[in-house]
Amino acid sequence: MSTTENTPETQAGICPLTRRRFMKGLLAAGVLANLPCGLLRPTRTEAGEIVYAGDYEIFRNACPRNCYDTCSIKTYVKDGVVQFIEGATESTFTRGGLCVKGYGYTRRPYSPDRIKYPMVQEGRGTGNWRRVSWDEAMDRIAKKILQIQEKDGNLLGLALSKYSGNFGITNYGIEGMMSSLGYTTRLTGTPCWPAGIDAQNFDMGDMWCNDPEDMVHARYVILWGGNAAWNSVHSVKYVYEAKRRGAKIVVIDPIMTQMAAKADEYWQIRTSTDGALALGMARHILDNKLYDRDWVMANSVGFEEFASYLRENVTVEWAAKESGVPATNIIEMAEEFATAKPATIWIGYGLQRHVNGGAAVRAIDALVAMTGNVGKVGGGARYGHLRTWGFNYHALLQKQPEGAKGVPGKAEVKGDFHFAGGNDAAAVSYSDRILNINKTAQVILDANDPPIRMLWVACKNPFSQDFDRNKMVKAFEKLEMVVTVDQFFNETVNMSDIVLPVTTLFEEWTINASYWHYWLSINERAIQPMYETKSDIQIAATLSKKMNALKPGSCTFPTEIDSKEWMTKEFNQGIYDLFGIKSWEDLKKGPAKAKMPSAAWHDLKFGTPSGKYEFKSELAAEWGNKALPEYVAPREKTDKYRVLTPHTKFGLHSQFINLDWSEEFNPKPFVYVHPQLAAEKNIKDGDTVRVFNSIGEVKTTAKLSTVVPSDAILMYEAWFRNNPYNVQNVVDDTSSDMGAYKTGQPGVAIHDQFADLAKV
Amino acid sequence: MNDIEAIRDFFLAGDAGKLKRSYQQLSGSFEATPPVVEDWQEVEFAFNRLFVGPAALEAPPFSSVYLDAQGLVMGQTTMAVRQMYAALGLESPWKNSLPDDHISLELDAALAMNHVLKKLGHSEIQELHARFMNHMTRWVPLFADRVLTAPSRHPAINHVVLCLSDWLDKQTCGLKNYQSAREEKV
Ligand code: SF4
Repeated sequence: MSTTENTPETQAGICPLTRRRFMKGLLAAGVLANLPCGLLRPTRTEAGEIVYAGDYEIFRNACPRNCYDTCSIKTYVKDGVVQFIEGATESTFTRGGLCVKGYGYTRRPYSPDRIKYPMVQEGRGTGNWRRVSWDEAMDRIAKKILQIQEKDGNLLGLALSKYSGNFGITNYGIEGMMSSLGYTTRLTGTPCWPAGIDAQNFDMGDMWCNDPEDMVHARYVILWGGNAAWNSVHSVKYVYEAKRRGAKIVVIDPIMTQMAAKADEYWQIRTSTDGALALGMARHILDNKLYDRDWVMANSVGFEEFASYLRENVTVEWAAKESGVPATNIIEMAEEFATAKPATIWIGYGLQRHVNGGAAVRAIDALVAMTGNVGKVGGGARYGHLRTWGFNYHALLQKQPEGAKGVPGKAEVKGDFHFAGGNDAAAVSYSDRILNINKTAQVILDANDPPIRMLWVACKNPFSQDFDRNKMVKAFEKLEMVVTVDQFFNETVNMSDIVLPVTTLFEEWTINASYWHYWLSINERAIQPMYETKSDIQIAATLSKKMNALKPGSCTFPTEIDSKEWMTKEFNQGIYDLFGIKSWEDLKKGPAKAKMPSAAWHDLKFGTPSGKYEFKSELAAEWGNKALPEYVAPREKTDKYRVLTPHTKFGLHSQFINLDWSEEFNPKPFVYVHPQLAAEKNIKDGDTVRVFNSIGEVKTTAKLSTVVPSDAILMYEAWFRNNPYNVQNVVDDTSSDMGAYKTGQPGVAIHDQFADLAKV
Repeated sequence: MNDIEAIRDFFLAGDAGKLKRSYQQLSGSFEATPPVVEDWQEVEFAFNRLFVGPAALEAPPFSSVYLDAQGLVMGQTTMAVRQMYAALGLESPWKNSLPDDHISLELDAALAMNHVLKKLGHSEIQELHARFMNHMTRWVPLFADRVLTAPSRHPAINHVVLCLSDWLDKQTCGLKNYQSAREEKV
């Protein structure tokens, strides 16, 4: 046999054997009748021929991982196997492309490392796993739930930790599963963007951004506190197009990001002083009468008070001193911004992850509003929107079993994506226990009446994403049972008693909307689930079956569900009208775009109590903030250097980094240190260093880089499958200033962290 | 039950009991004496770290991981193996949920081929068998190597893997005879 015959290529084109003839021979000889093989069986299809050339089956999918871009995906399947994927060409936003992360999707279902079966760990963190059947896993879980009910008389001892790891609409069936069991403990709020959501709600009555595709019409674009070149790659083409048409592109960020490198102008602002810079610009615009007086008079309230605040408290020099941006440049930027029509600011989520983050967003909103750029095509204070999320939340809305008890009285579960109220007010005498997701470790430690006994983790990796990891270790010690549903092993799975294998996007039905662009995709089941994986709602149904077998009536979740049918139940006429489709089936032909004007607040009918843009918001004051977008000082330093832990290029929070493709580009984590600081600390490129503060430490290799401010330490958030690196070791759970109004809980001051640094 | 069936069942075992049962069914026709196992639970834990999960597998039991440039399952190699089963008129009962090139399925196919070969010695089945054995010899040694040197290696599992290698050696001996006969004909 020649060596060329050994290559997989020739094997793939295998069998010079003419199969039919061959099979006939076997059949005639009766050989196939008594094969000794115990596993393989005669092919069911008559011919059984595998055709390698020819057509693919095409399915519609969407990237569901809480990314701005929420790309529509076209999946090509042959013989039940995903062959390749591409971005949907029908979406002008995706325009046929994905990103480096998205192109790796085919590696998810087919990674040999994915979680395949329900498994039980004999001792958390021991790595001693037993494979169990779904039945046994559910039996253990259900019995624990019934035991909690027995012991406490309610299910408040059962808590849910879930966020955006899979953002499909039917994935809200996880919350539905909890409701169907009873009143439980919910970790609510969002670590992502709550301060900015509240800020925009105070100012305008909702968070609503222009269509990113209309950025091409902007004459001046400020990208403030976000790195679109890494985190919203598809939006960047609109920035470039605006630039090609003559717009100036300015980036403001403490880190010289990839986006900054592409801009016309970049300002390395002192972290957490964004409000001061925006207010300094506003003062100059005010003094020079560059604001849009007509717009302000017609469409806002409180401008005079805001103007007085600026005159009395803000100067350009002060703003320059606070922010580190020279006064002449603040003046220049202010003048250019105010006179370019339209001008827009893209407010990144990074800038509001501070103790003054909400206040900073309000100051930036004010800058956009006073220049008359709100409600304009190509203008706007762009942050995000939820205008295309009006689904039925059928999976989410489940009823508690008869007689279930919880926290007396009605408490509303809030969250960034909690749209549906759920229980009708009159009937409710009990509620869930609502705790802060951003202080998960602390609330688990504090809750005692009853204690949290059991934690269900889904669409989330608390050990990578929640704050103060060492506290989380202690909190987990208090838990009697931890169940984690995931696709890949990670530190949270390691600290669990039971792991359940969940489907990838190709193996389930759901719907994906974006909080940034205006497109909507369905996510079809393109292949059958590999191994014994199930979707989140199928897991809920399986649990319900077991619960009801053990104790009839103990769970209201349906015990059999057709997940395709459940997807269809999420649609309503409002969605159909908004997207101009007759039925969800239309989305099989490709994603659809909402028929909305591209400018948010185009009709200038704001959702605030006054119906106008509120420079002065009484609502903000009611929620414990200043009524005006006043400057709030940054967090006091708690250690020598600021620690910044933004998104990496090769992952989305805790996802993707573990996959082999990402590892090729990004095999290990670094601490990025400015050469000046490195020299002070006698650190050379490649040295192992320790970043430490009062709550923990991170040890890894130093990389010297001038993209980092000289008084800061930069580490990208992530987890690596073969490395204990975890930035949450040094990130505490200090709250940001806003978030409680709309999302139920304040956000976290992720970028207001401090630590020292030393060579090991 | 012959040894290869026992090895096949071993690699598919879902728990300590099944591991033990298939291990004990190894007849001892192999040269090495099987190590005595005191704690089957320990074997189960090691077995799962090597072949099942939930953590990244130390020795994935799928041929494609060793033979495809991509290191994934369900790629070219898996499909080639599927096609070889189909050539025999067979398919996996877990088509598209368990990769067709799982070691146990391949051993099952080898059993089927040996059987057919015995019943009908015609050249097509010889050729198919030769190709399939050639495929197995390209990855099983790599797989065995991973198992024998894995952090979670265990004497009992090592023994089964050595038996597997032994069996494959014998098969390929036969294969070499076949190949030289074929070359002579040419
Ligand atoms: S990570 Fe974002 S840009 Fe990449 S494929 Fe997913 S949605 Fe698209």
